[in-house]
Amino acid sequence: MDVFVNLTLSGLSTGMMIFLVASGLSLIFGLMGVLNFAHGSLFMWGAYAGVWVFARTHSFTLALLAGMAAGAMVGWVMERLTIRRIYGNVVAQILITTGVMLVLNELLSATFGPNIIATTVPPLLAGSWAFGNIVVVKYRVFTIVVGFLVALAVHFMLSRTRVGIIVRAGVENQEMVQVLGINIRQVFSLVFVFGSALAALGGVMMAPAIGAVNSGMGIENQMLAFIVVVIGGMGSFLGSALGSVIVGLAGAYTAWFFPEASLAVNVVLMALVLLLKPNGLFGMGGE
Amino acid sequence: MALPKSQPAGLSRRKFLSVSGWVPMAALLLLALVPALSPSRATLNLLTQIIILAVFAMSYDILLGYTGIVSFGHALFFGSGAYLVGLIIKHSEPTLGYLLLAVLGTLLFALVISVLIGYLSLRVKDVYYAMITLAFAEFFLIIAQKWRSVTNGDDGFSFRVPTMLQHRVVYYYLILAFVVVTLVFLRRFIHSPTGRVLIAIRENEKRAEFLGYDVLKFKLISTMVAGVVASLAGVAWALQQQFISPGVMAVDKTIDALLMTIIGGTGTLYGAFIGSGLISLAREYLPELAEIHPVFGHWYILFGLLYILIVLFFPGGILGTFRGFPRKRKSQEER
Repeated sequence: MDVFVNLTLSGLSTGMMIFLVASGLSLIFGLMGVLNFAHGSLFMWGAYAGVWVFARTHSFTLALLAGMAAGAMVGWVMERLTIRRIYGNVVAQILITTGVMLVLNELLSATFGPNIIATTVPPLLAGSWAFGNIVVVKYRVFTIVVGFLVALAVHFMLSRTRVGIIVRAGVENQEMVQVLGINIRQVFSLVFVFGSALAALGGVMMAPAIGAVNSGMGIENQMLAFIVVVIGGMGSFLGSALGSVIVGLAGAYTAWFFPEASLAVNVVLMALVLLLKPNGLFGMGGE
Repeated sequence: MALPKSQPAGLSRRKFLSVSGWVPMAALLLLALVPALSPSRATLNLLTQIIILAVFAMSYDILLGYTGIVSFGHALFFGSGAYLVGLIIKHSEPTLGYLLLAVLGTLLFALVISVLIGYLSLRVKDVYYAMITLAFAEFFLIIAQKWRSVTNGDDGFSFRVPTMLQHRVVYYYLILAFVVVTLVFLRRFIHSPTGRVLIAIRENEKRAEFLGYDVLKFKLISTMVAGVVASLAGVAWALQQQFISPGVMAVDKTIDALLMTIIGGTGTLYGAFIGSGLISLAREYLPELAEIHPVFGHWYILFGLLYILIVLFFPGGILGTFRGFPRKRKSQEER
């Protein structure tokens, strides 16, 4: 039982972390149909910016803000210079964002060097509570809370605000939204920048959890985010959230019970979902 | 679709008139003369590498340039070819017989895996293919890294190649023969009725479907051909390096193929040679220029920018632009 609770907590917190990365991806793909292969790079820029600011100011709040600002800024420039030119052309989008990924990653390694940079959990969130045999790591609780808050905030934004209505309408029918006098391009840019900031937020949150940032973390987490989005269904925000939790929990349980299988479990999960329900658990129907 | 042989489709006739006539022949002749002109070990090694990577890039071009699908796991085939041949020879004798066995095993593996991945991912949307191939490639990479008892993990392992192939010049000519055979095969494939259907799918998938073609089947054929050729390139790579580490299967290898194909020119086959030559030369010589300006140490930035510019403004790549008829912009696909 204790083991079960511990594993569930750890899985949930991993899932929430993946969710932060995947939510931006899911939003951008859902609305714009842009599969952003540079998403992991935005995540990494967030992580590096967060670590850099945290090392200098020792304020995690500032690190979070700086990371999100870095992600939003890079996302904005990227959207302006590249993505804006190729809406609707799926292949070109994949190709372009891959190129952007190369440049962004290499810029990071040119600035910070190729080595791992260590970081620590902020003192306020360090340590853990123990209830008998159940150990609750504070930072894990923090990630779960942040994940839930972000999920709630985005859900609220999508379902209750004017921007959210426009975004959802844009997913359904872009031309109709345009006809109603709304500049859908501007909304696209906004969503892209917002999604980039979410990816970067995921990066800032992830860095203390694994204790370091390195140049491989972008592609790793991007892949997890992809797997989550595939499992949850393209364009479904709720699906991405559920997919993240499933992947997080599955990872935690298999790592404990069948350590050999833990590396394969994500790919196997994804293959299963694709076989049984090719559009994902909450997919909006493919073509 | 099925045109008589004497009347090639417009595309191939234009190709025939422009580059594919005498230039490749002259290039081949020149390449064949290299060992006589400059027998330096380094030159031969570099050229062999360029040619092998060009074959890898050509296989990628079948997917990207002729079928219009993007794979991020192509290194899986390249790497598994390399690993299979290395492991089989290491655990048996370095003879031509076992080498043949390894090649056959590689072919079988590539066919099975490409069908499996293609069936899982191509049924839904093309964008899935990019992500799912990436996930599978990473999965195999993890196996290569973690299954230490067999693959020796990140350290990799070396193996002896059959004595006949140890000679650099012999191996060079073998690779030259290999590339000619592959090129002829791929050109035949593209100009076959099947290849024409693939191009139709690239240009307009819905229309091809409404014309009655089983799009999934043709895409699967495309991934099979690409997978097999890529794994053979992997075999050739392993035999040249005589050493294998998980790097052959990393996503960087796929990205190299992508860069080579795009920069050289998608949908051209020959562009792969230009791309491969540029990238291999850059990798070999640009880091030496790092003392002049540090940006050369991070030459990937330059290639990334070049690549982005090419995708945005010269979709035909170097070869396509040079030929003077850049490939028509892909029609705005519906989402």
